[in-house]
Amino acid sequence: MAIFDVSGYKKYCELREQILPAGLTHLVDRTNHYNFGTKTQEFAVPPGVDPSGFLKSCNHDGGVCIEMNHGTTTLAFKFKHGVIVAVDSRASAGNYLASKDANKVIEINSYLLGTMSGSAADCQHWERLLAKECRLYRLRNNHRISVAAASKLLSNMMLGYRGMGLSMGSMICGWDKQGPGLYYVDDNGTRLSGRMFSTGCGNSYAYGVVDSGYREDMTVEEAYELGRRGITHATHRDAYSGGVVNMYHMREDGWIKVCKDDVSELIHRYRKGMF
Amino acid sequence: MALQDICNFQSVFEDRLTTEYPAVPHGKKIPSNYVSGLPFSNNKSLFHFYIPVAEYLDESPIQFGQISTVQNCSAVSSEDPFLTSSSLPTCLPFASSQSVPLPFPMAHGTTTLAFMFQGGVMAAADTRSSCSGLVACPASQKILPIHSHLVGLTSGTSADCALWKRILARELRLYQLRHGRRLSTSGAAKLLSHMLHPFKGTELCVAATLCGWDGGEQKNFVDSTNAKVSLAKDERFSFSQQCSIRKKMNLSGPRLFYVCSDGTRLRGMLFSVGSGSPYAYSILDQGVHWGLTVDEAKSIAREAVYRATYRDAYSGNCVDMYHITSKGWTRRNREDLKEEYYREKERRKHEKTERRDVAFSD
Repeated sequence: MAIFDVSGYKKYCELREQILPAGLTHLVDRTNHYNFGTKTQEFAVPPGVDPSGFLKSCNHDGGVCIEMNHGTTTLAFKFKHGVIVAVDSRASAGNYLASKDANKVIEINSYLLGTMSGSAADCQHWERLLAKECRLYRLRNNHRISVAAASKLLSNMMLGYRGMGLSMGSMICGWDKQGPGLYYVDDNGTRLSGRMFSTGCGNSYAYGVVDSGYREDMTVEEAYELGRRGITHATHRDAYSGGVVNMYHMREDGWIKVCKDDVSELIHRYRKGMF
Repeated sequence: MALQDICNFQSVFEDRLTTEYPAVPHGKKIPSNYVSGLPFSNNKSLFHFYIPVAEYLDESPIQFGQISTVQNCSAVSSEDPFLTSSSLPTCLPFASSQSVPLPFPMAHGTTTLAFMFQGGVMAAADTRSSCSGLVACPASQKILPIHSHLVGLTSGTSADCALWKRILARELRLYQLRHGRRLSTSGAAKLLSHMLHPFKGTELCVAATLCGWDGGEQKNFVDSTNAKVSLAKDERFSFSQQCSIRKKMNLSGPRLFYVCSDGTRLRGMLFSVGSGSPYAYSILDQGVHWGLTVDEAKSIAREAVYRATYRDAYSGNCVDMYHITSKGWTRRNREDLKEEYYREKERRKHEKTERRDVAFSD
């Protein structure tokens, strides 16, 4: 077709032969579509399949509706002594609680953490892919990847599949040469740097608590308490959040896991007049 | 028609212009002195509610999406507005209006909250009226006093809320005149809930929180406040014990009810309604307990509304606060939250410079 010629589009098999000589094509990782330095981006979607069209047809009223629910609460904030990351641990499938002890923080390396909210499968897959890319970067360039670059990688992965039904809301937290870093990355491709984020359907409850109690010069203990409170109050009001509070503290020398507290005990401490 | 005979339609129709009071103690409707069709004509049955006639809506200059294809319905309703109320789902003129889009989408953005504590009921709300992206009024009033000891917080469509609040106020006043005592908050909530019931399934949207103090006679009031004050001080009592003690005491005291146009009617200690409510809920959950002082309660309510306006786009501008006690409601001056925002910004900047000074001095 004429447009192929004009835009320089090459079929995947042609590209592959250019990059690798014909005997070694079996070494190419078919699912690894994101390569540094290639001219065209390849997406692991078979030709002829149109996920975004299919999804649009699913969103009609009265028809089958595929609802993407972000049933969780995660929060992260930067303060004087680093970054606090706190998540709940409930995994729900509609009204069924699939797990009360799900792990929603992925430890990418000792200086990078990623949180997960949205579809569990999407989050786990893409963040593990991000972990692989970060490791490859470290091996190729002999220095750790920055938080900004890691979040940009994830964001570009999301943009490649935009509109095709991915559901992921993640926060990439780390400490690099610029100091503590916190980025929010979304399945729409949104990538925002900020001081405080909260994702999931319990996020509004967490925002109220953390906005109210946040001070730049908090001590470490106060920050731990604030993170715990945020998740606890969100799990109290939101039906899709619960379980335990998993809290991490990102410091200059790496992250530490602070606690794993059951919210049903924490709520007794925080709601004075309730019981 | 047989149905007409059963519900005494003809006799009711003839009685329309009389001003006789029904002997039934539960008569909720006022006798009509006007000639033309009007909201609540008198009839002796408990649950007869007026449904506006379709033609009236067709003649309206603003075609608000009510389509006139409900021909069969309009023919029926012109004859007997009372009968249509008993066969509600099929004949309601609004029922088929969803196929025509409204001129602008209705959006319900607000933050209102109310909680009970030992000093009465504290109610707070923001003042922004939004219309899907446009701030229609930055100084609207969402807390409407109904009578001296009852205040209603409204959320949902402003027009619906204002109208229903007035209807409720009128009905409560009539009750007071007929029976010589105020209707309890629980009764008012029940009344509102039953009045809204015929409109279930239509696009009416009213979510009201009724905050009131059910007064007893003077003697009761004295006993109850003394008992409450001593309870508040003695926090060794667990909350459930406090509850049962309070229940035993008497039926007067603060009351809080949430009534919604979909039929919900809930009694509780703490409610927050609106798009900004999740943000407010977490602040309230942290701080509200029975033993609060009045000043603490005011500051918590203010902080909760402020946090909701901070994050929610549909809430903002100012905060209104009402405090209901046994003596009635008192209103605090309307406070612009912009000031609070700037104060907080100053505080954060101050903290940051302090931090930098400390770092430099090291």
